Amino acid sequence: MREKIISFMIVLNIITCFAVFSFAQDLLIKNGTILTITQGKIPKGDILIMGGVIRRIADNIEPPPGVKVIDAIGKFVMPGIIDSHTHIALAGVNESGETISSEVKMMDVLNAEDPAIFTALTGGVTMVHTMHGSGNPIGGENVVLKMKWGKPSEEMIVHEALRTLKFALGENPKQANIFSLGEPRYPQTRMGVNAIIRREFLKAKDYLEQWERYDEAKRSKNPPKNLLPPRKDLKLEPLVDMLRGKMVARCHSYRADETLEFIELSKEFGFKIAAFEHASEAFKIADKLVEEKIGISIFLDNWAYKVEASEGIAYNAAYCAKKGVLVSINSDSNERIRRLFNDAAKAMKYGDLSEEEALKLITINPAIQLGVEKIAGSLEVGKHGDIAIFSEHPLSAYTCCEITIIEGEVYFDRAQYLKQREEEKKKEEVKKGLN
Amino acid sequence: MREKIVIILAMLSLFIPLFSEQEKKTELIAIQGGKIIPVGGEEIEGGTVLIRGRLIEALGKEIEIPQGAKIISAKGLFVYPGMIDGQCYLGLQEIGSIRATVDSTETGIINPQLQAVEALRPDSIHIPIARANGITAALVVPTGGLVAGQSGLIRLYGMTPQEMVIKSPMAMHINLPSLPSSSRQQRRGDQPEEASKRIKELKELFAKVRHYQKQRQFARKNKILPLPEFDEKLEFLLPVIDGTMPLFISVHAEKDIREAMKFVEEEKLKAIFFGVEEGWKVAEELAKSGIPVIFDSLYELPSKWEDGYDALYRNPGILRKAGVKIAFSSSSASLAKDLPYHASKAAAFGLDRSEALKAVTLYPAEIFGVDNLMGSLESGKLANIVVSDGDILELATHVKHVFIEGKEMDLKTRYEELLDKYKK
Amino acid sequence: MKKKAKVKRVIVLFFFSLFLLLSFSEARVLPVYAVVNCKIFPVSGPPIEKGVIVIRNGLIESIGEEGKIVIPEDAEIIEGEGCFAYPGLIDAHGSFFLETKKEEEPSSERERLPALSPQEKFKPHPEFQVFKSLKPKKSVLESLHRIGFTTVLVVPEEEIFAGQSVLLNLNGEEAQAMVVKNPFALHINFVTNRNTYPTSLMGTMAFLRQSFLDTEHYALHSAFFSRHSKGLRRPEYDPFLESLIPFVAEKKPVVFNCANLEDIKRALILIDEFKLNGYIAGANEAWRVVGHLERAKVPLFISLDYKPPLNSIYATQGEELREKAEKEIYPENPAILSKKGLRFALCSHTLKKSEDILKNVQKAIERGLPREEALKAMTIIPARFLGVDNLLGSLEQGKIANIIFTSGEIFKEGTRVKRVFVDGLSFEVKEPPKAEAPALFNISGRWLAKITSPMGDMEMTLEIEQEGNSILGKILSEFGQWEITDGLITGKELSFTISAMIMGETVELTFKGEAEMDSLVGTFSFMGITAAMRATRIPGENFKRGGIR
Repeated sequence: MREKIISFMIVLNIITCFAVFSFAQDLLIKNGTILTITQGKIPKGDILIMGGVIRRIADNIEPPPGVKVIDAIGKFVMPGIIDSHTHIALAGVNESGETISSEVKMMDVLNAEDPAIFTALTGGVTMVHTMHGSGNPIGGENVVLKMKWGKPSEEMIVHEALRTLKFALGENPKQANIFSLGEPRYPQTRMGVNAIIRREFLKAKDYLEQWERYDEAKRSKNPPKNLLPPRKDLKLEPLVDMLRGKMVARCHSYRADETLEFIELSKEFGFKIAAFEHASEAFKIADKLVEEKIGISIFLDNWAYKVEASEGIAYNAAYCAKKGVLVSINSDSNERIRRLFNDAAKAMKYGDLSEEEALKLITINPAIQLGVEKIAGSLEVGKHGDIAIFSEHPLSAYTCCEITIIEGEVYFDRAQYLKQREEEKKKEEVKKGLN
Repeated sequence: MREKIVIILAMLSLFIPLFSEQEKKTELIAIQGGKIIPVGGEEIEGGTVLIRGRLIEALGKEIEIPQGAKIISAKGLFVYPGMIDGQCYLGLQEIGSIRATVDSTETGIINPQLQAVEALRPDSIHIPIARANGITAALVVPTGGLVAGQSGLIRLYGMTPQEMVIKSPMAMHINLPSLPSSSRQQRRGDQPEEASKRIKELKELFAKVRHYQKQRQFARKNKILPLPEFDEKLEFLLPVIDGTMPLFISVHAEKDIREAMKFVEEEKLKAIFFGVEEGWKVAEELAKSGIPVIFDSLYELPSKWEDGYDALYRNPGILRKAGVKIAFSSSSASLAKDLPYHASKAAAFGLDRSEALKAVTLYPAEIFGVDNLMGSLESGKLANIVVSDGDILELATHVKHVFIEGKEMDLKTRYEELLDKYKK
Repeated sequence: MKKKAKVKRVIVLFFFSLFLLLSFSEARVLPVYAVVNCKIFPVSGPPIEKGVIVIRNGLIESIGEEGKIVIPEDAEIIEGEGCFAYPGLIDAHGSFFLETKKEEEPSSERERLPALSPQEKFKPHPEFQVFKSLKPKKSVLESLHRIGFTTVLVVPEEEIFAGQSVLLNLNGEEAQAMVVKNPFALHINFVTNRNTYPTSLMGTMAFLRQSFLDTEHYALHSAFFSRHSKGLRRPEYDPFLESLIPFVAEKKPVVFNCANLEDIKRALILIDEFKLNGYIAGANEAWRVVGHLERAKVPLFISLDYKPPLNSIYATQGEELREKAEKEIYPENPAILSKKGLRFALCSHTLKKSEDILKNVQKAIERGLPREEALKAMTIIPARFLGVDNLLGSLEQGKIANIIFTSGEIFKEGTRVKRVFVDGLSFEVKEPPKAEAPALFNISGRWLAKITSPMGDMEMTLEIEQEGNSILGKILSEFGQWEITDGLITGKELSFTISAMIMGETVELTFKGEAEMDSLVGTFSFMGITAAMRATRIPGENFKRGGIR
């Protein structure tokens, strides 16, 4: 017995040693101004990450042996930014061959080599919710990824996140800005969009019942010999998951009225809406959104590019946030993704959000919307070591993202990047000189 | 005696309206106690700017404020010159996807006869929003084709286009090919000869214009000769040939920039370059050429991975250090208010901060030849003034007052209108 | 005049029927060969320094050391001259003998707004057998023989369900006679449609999943129905699902064509999800997902095309990296897989030119693939994967006589294939056409030709169109119109082939001669008969280009 215990302890020790010696994910960030988001600002402090998880936030932490140290003196340390509406890292955005494409999964078409992943890192973004496009009333299942540039695609998936299904209302699914040759596809109106979504949920309800009947018959004392299961329909399965609460809706909607209609639709069938995308008229119905506990994921000031966005105001984010709506700022663009911190700053100008409130728009708020608040969105012990280090306060226009870290591993380091560029330039000059 | 006094008083009273008229015309405003950043000179802590009528009368630490001046306290605030947008579509675009509201791009390749200000919509919702962020003047431009037409400099205030125009035409706009977008680059490949083709076309066009000019001049001298046939395209290019109208050349790739510089030199024309995304590769030559550069919106990705993710951001800093005169633009209508943030983004990547400020105030004024009127806070210049609670290039700064030519602007915009309507 | 023509016609027909007789008789009795004095590499065993191979009836009758093997009396002895004998190479995934469709634009990656047309249904055709559209061509055959290929799996190329492949022995131009196995497998591509569902890759994945699920359900329903048809509504006949049953329910081979590493992952997911008898083809990025492949143990048909996929990180970060990827990084794929102990076959896949195929095998060896492994990857391993290792893949008694004789060690620089046996038929490998010297004259136009043959004189008209070095056109005579093929003019030398349709049969006549500006002189050869031709230009009737086609 004693020998067994000893050998067990030895094995356990070895395992722990390996865990501790997983170098890539151990990191100590020293002397930075820490913006925890949920627990205030620490003017000068250290963060210790071991095994990819934040273990300590304190003053003067001694670096454990072998752990890489980053000196962040004079710099600002904040949680990695979360972009809750993008279309990056995908080999395909819209399934345009049909109107309802609920069966498609963005997880099937990940592209780990999309340069936009690197672009995101240069802007301090560590996690994105990458989605189906808005071409269909019901799109497909979205996926949440960590921007682990250089790693295989399957390692980027954040399995802790809520499962979400993309819905779209308004001009895009009704093809208002497309000139179609021949017969236009149904729906071409907002009432058609709602009707088609309702139709699919009604079909899903029937489908669910078919399966329930089958299950019951199978479980019965004498199931019939030729009891055939219903045909598994990949289009309706996600909708059934929504009815069962296993999946939530993320709905692209601009106008206040269509937003309200969709809320009614969700009540009709009992599914949950996690957030409305874009929601440029959210300020008109802020109370309702608070009441229904539905968040919004929006631009700050991008507007007037189409009619349904023509009453979008820059105060939207700040006003709704102050009212109690869970607001996140997104990019929906592989260019704007690297300026989310600039967009958040504008919420201080248009609506007078405080610094902390503005930073929440791109950290803890999107984390809550995506269901990953236990592992990301703020600098707290126990959360993942997803961190962005900036040269100035992130809400200053003069700031520059210098280091982006995911689970304790450095994925973007501007100083390194510049050094590499210098070296390559020198190599070029030598080559030219030799010629 | 009494009658005399009455008559004198009566006569004087005739002058009262005159006096009040003059007071109206030469209204005095004193912006007092703020930190003045004149751009053209040293910063002044706790200074005063005195406005008389349309002009800045004086500015300094100890300024005597005349009687009857309206005092605006700028205590704890900052006083800047109004910003100038190097290129925008304010007044030409309302809703991007609705063609009926977009007037910036005409059909056709050679359109020198078009004047952007003739499509200007003073009621555009985007103008007050830009103005409320401290932009007081902007270059409104036509786009499309090889020769897009003539731009005009406007003040962001006025009920009619005529009230808004400061100087039109300002320049003749030429478009050389844009850079292929980064995602398509490896598939389409470069089209290296496109810029050369267009420049050749321009050369031929200008040769035609010169010939046309000679014909017209000759015919004018000899009245017996019939006039050469009127050609709209050639007629409107005459000022370019004369050197009275600069060329505003939209150019992007390294090779194209070099060719464009050569072209300008050979044709002996005045030029302003726009875009110049790969300018950092030819910074020295650009500086030597003396051609000023106005940047496109920095809200773009570089087209070549190898140029680096920050290529567009560090471009302005590199050019400025080499000695090129630079200015920024919003190149937008709905985001014209973001002009200062392009400057501060460049400052985050190497451009000196005070140069960044100059690049949205004094430098565009110099490039457009209106630096005698605007671009800095100086006595004698137009009173285009912005009072803010922070650095005007910073994102969180609130603008408290905007003056255009001495008149205080209403800072209420569509944003506030809608918010007021719906807020509870 | 008419009588003369009639006589001519009879004479031509007489010679023609002789020819037919001879060809028929060839098919009946295959010659027996004994190749002596060659160094034999059987692959399935140790090499034989000086060996003999006896071929009878299309099979290897005996094989062994010289002296130990009895050479039958009726054998034609072929002196090996120290040549190296290898099993004929097997191309496990090729696209020869197919009509090339026009190249479509690559599908766009990012669309924000929906497509234009309303939803038409698209008609997938998994039941399509590529055998039906084979068009074997002599020139392709010869170019494949030149690099030692004797067997090729011809794979349909287009669409998600591309169709079913056929395994061919390269023994001639008769498709039927070439078939070794038809069909071999169902081939699936991760591609999209342009205007009908699915237009996106995630749509394709969902479509494949739904198709497989529906097939399983259909098979289940059909099985139930056949057992307890009373009270159960019959399954609605669905030809699409019927055609998938062999592959989904009966686990016949399914080959997934993988253009990049994500495709490989997608294929492995589907193979696992539906427990398919799956293979992976293409996969020049296999080296990037070795871990997945090690776990999955799926047979691999590795492409010899080293171009990095369009959206690969090796292709989007500048031209320098892309070139390096094609020249150095991707060619290491086979070596890396070999080091990891993965079994794979090498295949031509998207490469069309035989010189490229050979070059790329050599590159793989340069980058670290052991030569013996390369040989195995093109002989016994593909034979095993294709389920024909009892017939092909090594030199063993009883197996099909697919043998190649090379001047040196296989795949070495400078080694030439001298002779090839396919199904026991001997093919001498000709030199590739010389590098073309520019034509000295342009002989486009109409020509009046006088042909002098043992049978008499004939007159014909030639209509020729020349483009660079190649000649096209037709010959018009009283017997009809015949097309000029394989026409080549190098300097002054002119050569072409006529496929003459006589009595419903195609007969090939070859011309070799010289061209001058206004005259063509040379000889026609036809079954040992030669006829001299002299042609003069018909003045004033010169064609412009494009006139003939």
